[in-house]
Amino acid sequence: MSEEIEEGAAAEALAEVPRATKAELDLAFEELYRTHLRDVYSYSYYRVGNHHDAEDLTEQAFLQAYRHFERARRESHGRPLRPWLIRIAHNLAANHHRDKARRPTAALDAVEPPVHPHGTERVAEGRAELRAVIERLDDLSEDRREALIMRFALGMSNREIARALGRTDGATKVLIHRAIKQLEELLADE
Amino acid sequence: MSEGVGLNLERLLTDALRPVDPPADLVGRVETRLSSIAEQAAAELSSWADELSEGELEALRDPRNWVRPVAAVAVGGAAAGALVVVGMRRRGRPGSLRERAERLLRELGPPQG
Repeated sequence: MSEEIEEGAAAEALAEVPRATKAELDLAFEELYRTHLRDVYSYSYYRVGNHHDAEDLTEQAFLQAYRHFERARRESHGRPLRPWLIRIAHNLAANHHRDKARRPTAALDAVEPPVHPHGTERVAEGRAELRAVIERLDDLSEDRREALIMRFALGMSNREIARALGRTDGATKVLIHRAIKQLEELLADE
Repeated sequence: MSEGVGLNLERLLTDALRPVDPPADLVGRVETRLSSIAEQAAAELSSWADELSEGELEALRDPRNWVRPVAAVAVGGAAAGALVVVGMRRRGRPGSLRERAERLLRELGPPQG
């Protein structure tokens, strides 16, 4: 509720403000960049499973974000832009996986050690149950897995996740509930 | 499934999916990449402008021929702006892409119907 009031007030304030100058936009983008670099990087990392590709995706996400920033800011009506940023990263990650699937297997790829999509270096040093959670995440559908990454890695609210995934708040709540339930069942079967 | 299990799983998920700090050199890499894009666009615009003959300059007064320079300015402008954003602060430097583009458009004069 307070978020709605906050967003409403912000939207009203924005409506009264004339179009931002280039310098104002740059400052606003700088703020966005500094605030959400870790979010975009974390999201990318959990989607692609390695630092190298996560860095590329993060770079691309911020390049795209900059190109469309003015419009996104105008159309957000004062709402937070994190869901929009994560949606850009989401689309880039989807393209990344699609390109990877299309690419013929090269000899070099064959000798590379397999990289777990969420198989982080740090998990290897963690507890077995954490590793089990990470591994079972792979068995979820893409949208359920993504919703859990947004919720737990980025700490996004249902509303933010809904905006990032282009769903309603209700559908997102159900999606997360089902994702957790399925994960519980998968872990219980082990 | 008890609620306790659900809460425990949420705790495990919070532990398993901890936020990941980006490498320290990521910002530098972004700067390099943006810089490269800006320089490429600037070079494209500059060489293209240098090669123009009188006839081509005349043709440029027709807005239908503006696609190439406008695209170069747009790409370079976005990248140059992003450079500012990530801290390079190159705006105001003599001969920046935006200044060159603006100067070129001034030299070309207003379109003639």
